[in-house]
Amino acid sequence: MTTRTREPLIFERSVAGKVGMDLPRLDVPAARDTRPAHLKRGEFKALPSVTEVDVIRHFTRLSHWNYGVDDGFYPLGSCTMKHNPRINEKVAALPGFADTHPLAPAAHVQGNLAVLYTLQEWLKEITGLPAVTLQPCAGAAGELTGVMLIRSYHVSKGAKRRVILLPDSAHGTNPATAAMAGYEVVVVASQADGTVSFEDVTGADGKVQKGLDTLLAELGQEVAGLMLTNPNTLGIFEYRIQDISEALHKVGALLYMDGANMNALVGVARPGDFGVDVMHLNLHKTFSTPHGGGGPGSGPVACTMELEPFLPRPVVVRDTAKVGEGGVAQHSYRLDWDRPLSIGKVHAFFGNFGIVVRAMTYCFSHGGDGLKAATLRAIVNANYIRKELAGVYHMEYQTPTLHEVVLDDSEMANDVHTLDVAKGLIDRGFHPPTIYFPAIVHGALMIEPTESESKEEMDEFIAAMKDIALQAAENPESLHQAPVLVGMRRLDETMAARKPVLRWT
Amino acid sequence: MRYLPSAPSEDRALLDAIGVGRAEDLLQGIPAPLRLDRELDLPGQQSEQEVLQQMAALAAMNTQFHSRFLGAGAYDHFVPAAVDQMISRQEWFTAYTPYQPEISQGTLQHIFEYQTLTCDLTGLEVANASLYDGASACVETALMAVRLQKKRKTILISAGLHPHYQEALCTNITPHEGLQLVLVQLKDGVTDMDDLAAKLNGDVAAVMVGYPNFLGCVEDLKAISDAAHAAGALAVSVTQEALAFGWLEAPGKLGADMATGEAMSFGNKLNFGGPYLGFLAVKDSQKREIPGRVVGQTRDLDGQVGYVLTLTAREQHIRRDKATSNICSNQGLVALRANIFLQLAGPEGLKGLALQNVAKAQYLQARLLELPDFSAKFSAPFFNEFVTCYKGDMKTLQAECAKAGILPGLDLTPYAADLKNCILWCATELNSRAQIEQLVEVLARVPSLVGLAGVAK
Repeated sequence: MTTRTREPLIFERSVAGKVGMDLPRLDVPAARDTRPAHLKRGEFKALPSVTEVDVIRHFTRLSHWNYGVDDGFYPLGSCTMKHNPRINEKVAALPGFADTHPLAPAAHVQGNLAVLYTLQEWLKEITGLPAVTLQPCAGAAGELTGVMLIRSYHVSKGAKRRVILLPDSAHGTNPATAAMAGYEVVVVASQADGTVSFEDVTGADGKVQKGLDTLLAELGQEVAGLMLTNPNTLGIFEYRIQDISEALHKVGALLYMDGANMNALVGVARPGDFGVDVMHLNLHKTFSTPHGGGGPGSGPVACTMELEPFLPRPVVVRDTAKVGEGGVAQHSYRLDWDRPLSIGKVHAFFGNFGIVVRAMTYCFSHGGDGLKAATLRAIVNANYIRKELAGVYHMEYQTPTLHEVVLDDSEMANDVHTLDVAKGLIDRGFHPPTIYFPAIVHGALMIEPTESESKEEMDEFIAAMKDIALQAAENPESLHQAPVLVGMRRLDETMAARKPVLRWT
Repeated sequence: MRYLPSAPSEDRALLDAIGVGRAEDLLQGIPAPLRLDRELDLPGQQSEQEVLQQMAALAAMNTQFHSRFLGAGAYDHFVPAAVDQMISRQEWFTAYTPYQPEISQGTLQHIFEYQTLTCDLTGLEVANASLYDGASACVETALMAVRLQKKRKTILISAGLHPHYQEALCTNITPHEGLQLVLVQLKDGVTDMDDLAAKLNGDVAAVMVGYPNFLGCVEDLKAISDAAHAAGALAVSVTQEALAFGWLEAPGKLGADMATGEAMSFGNKLNFGGPYLGFLAVKDSQKREIPGRVVGQTRDLDGQVGYVLTLTAREQHIRRDKATSNICSNQGLVALRANIFLQLAGPEGLKGLALQNVAKAQYLQARLLELPDFSAKFSAPFFNEFVTCYKGDMKTLQAECAKAGILPGLDLTPYAADLKNCILWCATELNSRAQIEQLVEVLARVPSLVGLAGVAK
């Protein structure tokens, strides 16, 4: 623990002459200086001169001001903050994996290629789609890869098409991805139950938002595809997804599924079985790899055989030979670079291999039965919280939900808003839910408990949420002031953006 | 299942509270025909002990080389114990993006320090919190350069850029109609200044050059920046071996407008190519076009100094299709490794380590060139990688090295026609003199083509 309220920047601790790293004795002749004069390295201005003790204490103290999954309930909706099993870390650190070079000849990295191949096979079974790449380094990178597959598919048919459709409940990464892949974004309306609307929807402001039927009729073959999160960002399963897929396919467009919420479906339903053409998974969400304070993640993409030729290269291939008298199958793995239709590489080497190892370990630990049990428990947990809090907080959509539930602040007393609820939770020892998202719910509180939470942990959270609702009525100022117990009060984000100080000088 | 809080009494209590008989009843939102009507065809649950055995067996299928002379974008450096120990604290590795700054000051201050150090290494003014890797960092930087340059639509890339970076650029620029990538040829291992001059024109948004480049050669970044600027183009330095910043002048000091690349060398194992660390630093005037997370200093209600995610109006969750990038999760924990590593190294450690790399590579080169089958390919200065021509049989060389537990340099034959039978060697502080001597001994035993031809006669 630390009772300090401030840890200075490391640069303020620097004392010329101190060292934190002793170099090995040089066992070859000293370097000749071959640099032209103007390429000789000048002085460093910020790199600190500190000891290992200074560095360890610095980062240990800083760590005390973070809240992690092991500190407690972390219901950050859409991020699936489940337990990070320690065996995953141990396995990824095995020298047999960690000390392998990505350009070593295939014969010398058969274990790594077997890992890539095996997880691909398992993800095919989980998604119901027949082809997988593990190269994308995060969810957004997976989205971009997926949309580029769609683009290449259309180009192969004659034209790339112009538009990507997405619902107004979509994650921000979806429209940003479509733009990065060279597409225009057109928004599809959501209907009263929170799912994609086929019909036009007139909002409270009298504005008409176009439904899928209208957009497909108007844009027709201009539509390259639709990006859909399922279950969507409200935790609601898009129950007409097969109809959506058929409507798209009729005009030659494809269905992309954002798998951010796959923790609601593993072992229960498979996107390949309900018309999805291409999707990404988040190994750092559904498959328990640590979030690392903002990555590294991994965003594998699964797709149909129509899209398979376009997958990033190289592709891991397994060859099987029968050896010996009994004809025992012996597998060997290789990298296929000869992929003339491939969109090309999306990252150097094979993406975040270390994360793939962790995800495979997670799948091994759970097995097929355990993965399904985890999904069901995640759904039970979210529905328990929904049941306990639905009468306390307003809920815009009454539709059944799966792994998460979205509440909002519209019935809060005394000008207490979602931000105040979030900060009140901090003072009560919890990480807040995702707030103000999805934007279609005003003042949204998006709660995703995951399967990791026991009833006891959830009951404590539920009690805290109830207490906050009570405080809003009785002592709203206490919430407007929160947090007051964590050593740092609300920070001035406006000042940070208006007069940016982005490094120490 | 050891991670699931399941027990008959607890499961019942939850289901009773919800008012359903069994968990499956909560799947009513998924139409029955769309549900999976069978169990997943995957292995069954396993204990930690069994999982470890199986995964360790896979790891054991990889060859463990006791000495490695292969770099080419993935560098074998020593990782101080403090790095692994520190990032294993749950406060760092189990947290997520610091959306709630009051309980994320650790991560936020770390990123602020990382940004500061990235600026220090590159000689530029604003850095982001990380990008996925060197390849995607190149892509983000190229797209940013085009945004900054408005009407200019051509990106010149030196043929000395890492081939994977070149390919990722091609993958990601292709969808943008109107944009084009044009390759600038190399001459004696470095960017051909005549070809560069010939290809620079009023449509060129940026020139991207390896520093040092894929072939290990140190480019004259100053001359290239000057040429780019004279044509109104931005100069972009791409570094795949960030430790070179301990030996080579900061790109910003040589005129580069943007510096990007791969910084896995700071505190990471090879990990078969990832997770690695894409970095990006730019000029202050360009900051509102930078992709990814950026942390800024501010104050809390009591006036205490603190840190927040800032300039968020650039980002996907606010700006959606008008965002500077779609990136959300980046390489946070790898950036933490780099930050810890750099703080441990300090200015003397970084320069000393860089110098050791130069010394090892120079010694390796000198010893190789004593062998009759090896000759130097290029004359440019190099950091820790260099290319030799090889007169022998590459397959035999690789086989003999493998037998001796050595991973040799990269066979460049598949990479370019004029690199046939060339090898890209790398030496770092991890390569001892004894390893180098053993390598030379093994190579000396490999029969050369010249020798074989003699036998055939």
